[in-house]
Amino acid sequence: MADKNFLPRLSWAILITLLYLFLLAPIIIVFIISFDTRQYLAFPPESLSFGSYVKVFHNAKFVSAFWRSLAIGAVVGFVAVSAGMLLSLSLVRYRFRGRGAVNFLILAPFLVPHIVLAVGIMLVIAPIGLLDSYPGIVLAHLGITIPYTVRTITMSLTAVDARVEEAARVHGASPLMVFWRITLPLVRPGLVAGGVIAFLISFDEATISLFIVSVKASTLPTEIYHYLEHSTDPQIAALSVILILISVVVVIGVERLIGLRKAL
Amino acid sequence: MADHHVVIDQLVKTYPGAPKPSVDSVSFSLPRGEMLALLGPSGCGKTTILRMIAGLVDPTSGAIRIDGRDVSSIPVHKRNMGMIFQAYALFPHMTVAENISFGLEMRKVGRSEREERVLKALDLVKLTGLGGRKVSQLSGGQQQRAAIARSLVIEPELLLLDEPLSNLDAKLRDEMRDEIRDIQARTGVTAIFVTHDQDEALSMADRLAVMSAGRLEQIGTPREIFDRPQTQFVASFIGAGTFFKGKVVEPGLAMVEGLKPLRFTSHARLGSTVQLLIRPHRLVLATDAGQPNSFTGTVEHVVYRGQTLTLQVRCGDRLLQADLPTHAGVLPEKQSEVTLSVAAEDVTLVGEEAP
Repeated sequence: MADKNFLPRLSWAILITLLYLFLLAPIIIVFIISFDTRQYLAFPPESLSFGSYVKVFHNAKFVSAFWRSLAIGAVVGFVAVSAGMLLSLSLVRYRFRGRGAVNFLILAPFLVPHIVLAVGIMLVIAPIGLLDSYPGIVLAHLGITIPYTVRTITMSLTAVDARVEEAARVHGASPLMVFWRITLPLVRPGLVAGGVIAFLISFDEATISLFIVSVKASTLPTEIYHYLEHSTDPQIAALSVILILISVVVVIGVERLIGLRKAL
Repeated sequence: MADHHVVIDQLVKTYPGAPKPSVDSVSFSLPRGEMLALLGPSGCGKTTILRMIAGLVDPTSGAIRIDGRDVSSIPVHKRNMGMIFQAYALFPHMTVAENISFGLEMRKVGRSEREERVLKALDLVKLTGLGGRKVSQLSGGQQQRAAIARSLVIEPELLLLDEPLSNLDAKLRDEMRDEIRDIQARTGVTAIFVTHDQDEALSMADRLAVMSAGRLEQIGTPREIFDRPQTQFVASFIGAGTFFKGKVVEPGLAMVEGLKPLRFTSHARLGSTVQLLIRPHRLVLATDAGQPNSFTGTVEHVVYRGQTLTLQVRCGDRLLQADLPTHAGVLPEKQSEVTLSVAAEDVTLVGEEAP
């Protein structure tokens, strides 16, 4: 019995492994190159060291851009979740004229290429003097992250039985208390998932950021882009590995905490 | 009316765009401690009335008075109502004790008093010791009990129950029916419950309000509703029976098409057209085909139900349903000829049209 199934099983395992290798190949190559000692990007590496990582941590531009990106991402995540919560509440709980139009408008950024959005957002932000400013980049990122938070929160909210909220009202909870004690805890998975997605999108976003920021509010992706314009050494690979690790840690953390699969 | 605890006065609800009102000028009242059943087919407006009393739906017009005070303008959370929802609607992210404690917290009751009252409520619904459980760890019947405790712990003005037994299986339903009745009697809370199940309504309620298409058809004790239905709808919705249309030819005697004249005791004007009802269990086997109010016909269908035997008897072009006690000697068989009779006082007048 075992022998009969052995060959199909083995070939299946090999196929899966090859597929994953194909998908992960770029990351694996970046990971290996990040330890190369040469001053240009090439594969395979000649000798290995942590030199590039040390250089990244001593690169003042990278370090300050990293903290800026972190702060921008956190603010974007928080605001996108708050706005997403309010939008979802009105879309799920109320029937009003133009509801379909609002729904479409919120999801529209999904359909438009980022480069088109980037030009549009720049043309709006420039006249009000927000180019290369924190409010400017936060606003720009909100435009592309709110569709995601609305999606995750709407899904959580649809799963909440409206009767449960009614039960709370009947038994003495004011509308604000119902929101605070019943609705909010019940949609928490959607809030966390939306917040994490919004943070990661903001943290990784390059196309739109390149149009909005230059020096003062530059984010890590824009700094990487500018760095690549005149030098290509393994520092970029090392930085990429660090960014990948951050994303992985965040996703695993959330998965452990509340179960991302439940939230999505 | 003044001494009544709850008074519903000319309540109307018309949803925007609807051709006719969902609740059409309904009035009734309850003395303190009474259990009233709102009974009717789905869509008759009974749940809308319950939700208007709770404050979840705004009435189009009319008043809801509690102890003489109109509560229509009081927001939901300040009405001090208890409500049991069809699917219980317990708070899924809280424990049983937290669910029960919620209403007290909202009323800013102190922690120690809260804990004490939650324990008492758990005892009342026989969930002693289960306060720490999650809602999802409870069975259907236990969730029902938890929902009752959550509503009663706040000592509500009025307990509202929306189809409280419809989510339970048959065995649990009987158990909870007695349980709810018992808890209501012990706490003395005034209660209104909505149901489409006549057995539930007849066995649980002090009085029944039967509704149809937004209107109140009749309100009365289970016995009044069953034995003296005032409209054909009530008569046919509650219990089985055979209807006869006839013309009153002399006091207490109506000519019925295709059958012998029927005697009845209720008052009806001469010459009017009446609807008469005979309940299946009021028909008895008769020996003399000549006696008044007797029907001779052929048994078309026999169903043995243990205590009773249900017959469908063909009399001319009419089919009569009769429930005979099975201890009544020799029982008729299919295709045999039988004579059934009914006492004049058991012929119920359910409708009268002036000539």
